[in-house]
Amino acid sequence: MSAIADQLVAYAREKRLSAQTLRRWQSWAAEDQTALLAVAKGLQLNENQLRDFLDWLEEIVAREGGATRDVLMRAELRRPLESKLSRNDKLRGVKDALRKIRYPRLSQLEDDLRAAIKALDLGERVRVSFPPTLEGNEVMVEVKACSVQELHARLVQIQQKLADGSLQRVFTLLDEV
Amino acid sequence: MSRSLSVSESGTEQMKLYQPNEILIEQGEEHAAVVRRALVRLPHVPVRIVEKGWERDGLPGSEEDTFAAGKKRLLFTRRRSAFLEHCPAGTSGLVCCNYLVVSLISNCPMDCSYCFLQEYLASNPTLKVYTNVEDLLLQVATAIDRHPTQQFRVGTGELSDSLALDPVLGFSADLVPFFAVRKNALLEFKTKTNCVDGLLTLDPKDRVVVAWSMTPPAIIDTEEHQTASFSARLAAARRVQAAGYKLGFHFDPLIEYPDWERGYYDTISQIFSTIDPGRIAWVSLGSLRMAPTLRGTVRRRFPHTRILSGEQVACADGKWRTFQALRVKMYRTILRWLKDAAPQVPHYMCMETAAVWEKVWGYTPNCDKDVARTLTAPNLIPA
Repeated sequence: MSAIADQLVAYAREKRLSAQTLRRWQSWAAEDQTALLAVAKGLQLNENQLRDFLDWLEEIVAREGGATRDVLMRAELRRPLESKLSRNDKLRGVKDALRKIRYPRLSQLEDDLRAAIKALDLGERVRVSFPPTLEGNEVMVEVKACSVQELHARLVQIQQKLADGSLQRVFTLLDEV
Repeated sequence: MSRSLSVSESGTEQMKLYQPNEILIEQGEEHAAVVRRALVRLPHVPVRIVEKGWERDGLPGSEEDTFAAGKKRLLFTRRRSAFLEHCPAGTSGLVCCNYLVVSLISNCPMDCSYCFLQEYLASNPTLKVYTNVEDLLLQVATAIDRHPTQQFRVGTGELSDSLALDPVLGFSADLVPFFAVRKNALLEFKTKTNCVDGLLTLDPKDRVVVAWSMTPPAIIDTEEHQTASFSARLAAARRVQAAGYKLGFHFDPLIEYPDWERGYYDTISQIFSTIDPGRIAWVSLGSLRMAPTLRGTVRRRFPHTRILSGEQVACADGKWRTFQALRVKMYRTILRWLKDAAPQVPHYMCMETAAVWEKVWGYTPNCDKDVARTLTAPNLIPA
């Protein structure tokens, strides 16, 4: 067995990976196996996390062409990978970056919605959120109030955002791609 | 690419006749008409008579891909449960079109990478053909004759392609004359083949729709294995149209890929420059949808597929679809092209939520019967 094959088996043993996940990883080109192993070791990926990486990386390559190792070398992934963050924060950063590559238009739309909601500037007592993965057509507006006066003030604030069209923008964005 | 086509002497592309590795006949079914027809048309295939429940001890120990192996093992058996069922697409929370299905065949000789049968019939060791077609006809007659003022649409393409095995089994000769004389039912064959020769000598009397599932050639060539090419499907559609059949087209699954706009635009242009829209009964749209377990199966059986690489997310019914905003954009775009090409043809969506209907059509049907009524009586479409 080659060195990389041994290293994959050793990692699989250490992380108790399923035979199926290991087989799938082993089916990649040796250079791609090596590139992912470096990331997996750095982030201490377990079975479920590794499976997500395998899914997304294969799907990115299927869509865009190229090689997995090239995807893993992209600056947006290297940045969190090479940062001094904790392992958990690093993992979150890499997964976010990978998701943006895997779901470019969905991620862009989510970013735009977040920006539009932030621009509403409704404060911490009014929360506007959109459905997960943008499925459905409901925007949720939560209002916290300790008194009728506060509730009234918040509703007036929301009314202003309705009148100036900035809340409409959030609903409109749900459809824009 | 895998395609079972050859070119006939007349120059038309022909799909190769389905060749199973083995024919199994359940004891007592040896003399069924469909069995006799198949044995004549497949004279060199080994035949084995088996007892009911033979699968328990009659199968090879282990097969790497039971589903694929099952496609090559043709079993003739009786259907003991009801033939006539409501289309399972009528899942709670989704708008459905009140479609009925009958299944004379379970499993399909073709092998589309996205096919739900891979999951539904995952451990199914055979391609099953039901011999008691007379029971099916009786059940359908009983149901539709009981409601003479109601219009029914009945399809055979749920658990198999409607026509892929017709050159072997000849079921169309049982079904077309039966539906041709009924005033309140339409039969729909759904196919990805050009196996239409059996239809051409029958008179459908406007009661039979032959419908093609259509995707751009780039998808057909890479994901719809052993099916007829786009041009072969279109040529077959022309032939059945000339023979008096109504046509249907299903852009289902609608697949998002990098060049989808050009692909679908060209596909629609070619269809409507070839086919008389006046003879089209309906066109449907339906996004690619997959249960999570099916995605795993697809990944295993088709490691090089690109079908999973779209921006698909889990929806409320648990199935993965292209995320809503992009899906709606695809529906709107394609619907606009379809309406430009043939404004009078009824369109509908399959397995979509009321929210998506609202965004695409600007309204949500009040009930399933709204959609069904539009499709069985196109003159009722609101202006």
